Amino acid sequence: MSAYGGTYGTPGGPVVHDPMTLPADDNVNAYTFCVELKSGQWFLQKGKMIAYYGAIEFNGIGHGRLDRIVRTSFHSPLHASDWVVAAGSGKMLLADRAFDVNSYDLDDGNLTIRAGNLLAFQPSLALKQSIVPGFLTLIGTGKFVAASNGPVVFLEPPIRVDPQALVGWADCPSPCHHYDHGYLTGVLGGLRAMTGLGGVSGEEHQFEFVGAGTVLLQSSETLTDGGTTGAVPSEPGVPGGGAAAPGGHGPQPSGQPRLPGQLGDLQRRFGL
Amino acid sequence: MFRLQGSKVLAVDMTGDAVKAKNGSMVAYDGQMSFKKLTGGGEGLRGMVTRRLTGEQMTVMEVKGRGTCWFADRASEINLVALQGDKLYVESSNLLVTDAGLRTGTTFTGLRGASQGNGLFTTTVEGHGQAAIMSDGPAVVLRVSPQYPLIVDPGAYIAHQGNVRQSFQSGVTFRTLFGEGGGEAFQIRFEGDGLVYVQPSERNTIAGDL
Repeated sequence: MSAYGGTYGTPGGPVVHDPMTLPADDNVNAYTFCVELKSGQWFLQKGKMIAYYGAIEFNGIGHGRLDRIVRTSFHSPLHASDWVVAAGSGKMLLADRAFDVNSYDLDDGNLTIRAGNLLAFQPSLALKQSIVPGFLTLIGTGKFVAASNGPVVFLEPPIRVDPQALVGWADCPSPCHHYDHGYLTGVLGGLRAMTGLGGVSGEEHQFEFVGAGTVLLQSSETLTDGGTTGAVPSEPGVPGGGAAAPGGHGPQPSGQPRLPGQLGDLQRRFGL
Repeated sequence: MFRLQGSKVLAVDMTGDAVKAKNGSMVAYDGQMSFKKLTGGGEGLRGMVTRRLTGEQMTVMEVKGRGTCWFADRASEINLVALQGDKLYVESSNLLVTDAGLRTGTTFTGLRGASQGNGLFTTTVEGHGQAAIMSDGPAVVLRVSPQYPLIVDPGAYIAHQGNVRQSFQSGVTFRTLFGEGGGEAFQIRFEGDGLVYVQPSERNTIAGDL
């Protein structure tokens, strides 16, 4: 084919990819995913494309020609500025800060995922903002690509997980906060958590999942979140709504920004 | 004589010959080794002046001796490149070790370098031998052939070799100004015949947010 066809790609040397040998909608290695476009479209988080062969066009969500596809599969106005639509024919490589990437298939299902972990999805899926701030829900049938720090582990509820290790959950188990009893009782418990005197394990607060479904965890406690994701409209009954919640996401129910072991908790305990 | 031990440590077996390595990248050795800092990348006075002027500076040491020497740098992934008389273009910060027989130099890259945020110049490695380049995450090697040009994000590009023309492609439209850009405002297009190395991670570039 070309001069480099013979010289390189020999056993022992590095694996050389070209459009023929790149996989279609599969991983190239643990950190790079290849999407094949045949005059189709994919939703893509901004800046996650590292290279492509063929003729592919990237357009912001606000692009007029994309109105129809955006109307049917993008219901997440907060994140509109973070997403683009890739359209055309060719093969495109996706990666995110050398995190592990993997694709998942949804078959008439639903899955909620941390906003920063979702890299790309097929337009046959609908993307909606979750009620839980900072999370997005995918509904329908299709493929999506997600990043995680370390491989993803699938677990069945009932389970309690560390907030930083949580990637997402599928089929709607109920997510709620869980605090260790000792952390909440008495002034001493609060002081211990605040000062670290007497020892804190750093594991007093967990997310608890009960019900039927699957919970996805990454094997590290480093968040893969990118930038901020905006704030939901201030409306009565909307979690995380209002002027607060500068990040719009995070483990705590926002409303008032709360630092770990802040005095506010003690005050509330004393009824002040 | 270059072999990878895992993906982040390079072992070089030497029998009295020498390699050029990034200063301070030796992590272990056995046998007899001498380490000598090469002023100006070992390219003589002219190279030294060029590197100073272009900002494409690298501090290089010459490692010479008998035995095995191990190299690593900040747990970066290491990729081996075999050169058979062709030229490798790589950022000086991504170059770890080269055979002493390979010639290194600097070349003008134009707008590509500017869009990557690492200057208008890049380092070239030329000759017959092996070189080791570093990347954030294992590099993917992509072939460029006349019928299949390749488009790469400037932040993910690390190196290329062979007879390749590169051109700068801009997707900046009036929409970019309204914050509705496609997120891939600047791209490098490779045409010709050669190999391009990309890493599964993007450096922060001015184009990253457009």
